[in-house]
Amino acid sequence: MAFLRLRNLSVEFPVYQGGSQSLKKMLVAATTQGNLARDAMDRINVRALNDVTLDIEDGDRLGLIGANGAGKTTLLRVLAGIYSPSRGELYSSGRVSALLDVSVGLNPEATGRENIILRGMYMNIHPREMRARVDEIAEFTELGPYLDMPTRTYSSGMMIRLGFAVSTCIPPEILLMDEWLSAGDASFLEKAQRRMETFVGSSSILVLASHSTDLLRKWCNRGILLQHGRIAAEGDINDIIEAYAGAVALRA
Amino acid sequence: MSIDLPKRVSPSAAAWDDLVEGMSKSWMWSAMAMQDIRMRYRGSLLGPFWLTISMVIMIAAMGLIYSRLFNMEINRYLPFLTVGLVICNFVSTVIIEVCQTFLSAQNVITQVRMPFSVHAWRTVYRNLIVLAHNMVIVPLVLIIFRVSVDWTVIVIVPALAVLTINGIWISILLGMISARYRDVPPIVVSLVQVIFFITPIFWPPEALGIWMQALPLNPLFAAVDVVRAPLLGAAPLTYSWTVLLLVTVVGCIGTFALFAKFRSRITYWI
Repeated sequence: MAFLRLRNLSVEFPVYQGGSQSLKKMLVAATTQGNLARDAMDRINVRALNDVTLDIEDGDRLGLIGANGAGKTTLLRVLAGIYSPSRGELYSSGRVSALLDVSVGLNPEATGRENIILRGMYMNIHPREMRARVDEIAEFTELGPYLDMPTRTYSSGMMIRLGFAVSTCIPPEILLMDEWLSAGDASFLEKAQRRMETFVGSSSILVLASHSTDLLRKWCNRGILLQHGRIAAEGDINDIIEAYAGAVALRA
Repeated sequence: MSIDLPKRVSPSAAAWDDLVEGMSKSWMWSAMAMQDIRMRYRGSLLGPFWLTISMVIMIAAMGLIYSRLFNMEINRYLPFLTVGLVICNFVSTVIIEVCQTFLSAQNVITQVRMPFSVHAWRTVYRNLIVLAHNMVIVPLVLIIFRVSVDWTVIVIVPALAVLTINGIWISILLGMISARYRDVPPIVVSLVQVIFFITPIFWPPEALGIWMQALPLNPLFAAVDVVRAPLLGAAPLTYSWTVLLLVTVVGCIGTFALFAKFRSRITYWI
């Protein structure tokens, strides 16, 4: 059984800059009580998520909607276990596969096939196991002869095909995806959706951040609207998309 | 709606799990380290053996001149210089490179969840591979200059194992400090340079006279001594092992405490 449960969760980023990144200045500041190096403590705290309480259960296909900087990516990274919350708790169960950045673990000089193995490694899949899956992954990408070329020659759409195929080669219980998916072409998205349906059935979770209302309607059944790191609305995906459109119209 | 929520683990238990899990992922960090080496020497025919060749040239040139300078026979000085340089080069490169342990893995750390100790192992293992390439000079020099070495040379195996453990804690410690304070890596480079020159690598320890016994107080000397002495058919100085083991224990405990406390902050620092 997979679940993600957040309780009053907040994430604050200290933005270290200038003096606060210098040990020398921090030491000078400590010994002179800040007279000499006034800039040593110039850190700004950015609250990217603010008091978020959310339950994501088996079978939920959750769409994250919000303006740039609303906290969508941060929320995905918290769910992936990358950022520990500065306040509140995250409880989770289930094997997480996060497709946050297409290029993680890829070596642009290596061929597509080699990169399948490399990327698998970063997903905690042993190269031996990965080699057994290469053919199936290669077939899904439809990249054909391009798989024997270095990935630096790939277009972003081709990278997405490769990244998606590898990340979903073992059906994850929890799949987290950032916006980049929407850069895929229509036939790929169609195919990706069919693949998703095979495992996002009753027993797993999808969390997708996107600006494409089309994609969200097709892929998700629930939605949350994020505004300034808070959940502004929660409910059926169609209602949330309308709420977002309303909020945008209000501001315009 | 009531849902029972799983228990939360303490920071030190989480840090311990990180270390254990990191250790068990040897296939992961060894493959990453090999990948690093391949990338670094991409397109070069000899790969890491370039380093070996440059070291051979350095040893040959310095051996000729410094043996005169210190009035030592070349067949005693050259083996001493070779072993000392190879080991010292390993230790000092590890100390300098580990500052980038987490900084250079920024892309991975902010995108994928994996034990932080994997990155420490990757850095140390990468340097062990380079060490293995340089090590090929050692038996050649020992044979050419007829250094008599018996089976007791086997103690270099536990000695190198202890150096590797030290590499791991230094990697986690300096990796964390350098991620938080960006002026630390250049400071470390300067310090390593100073220590390099006050450590008897180029000059024989005997030149210090009665002060020789104080040498193991310098941990870099202790680290070099426990490997170099057996390879030259001699015993390390009395306190070399004591100092080295003391540094290992204190370093591991101190680093673990800091790692437990700040582990979850690393992602925010880089």
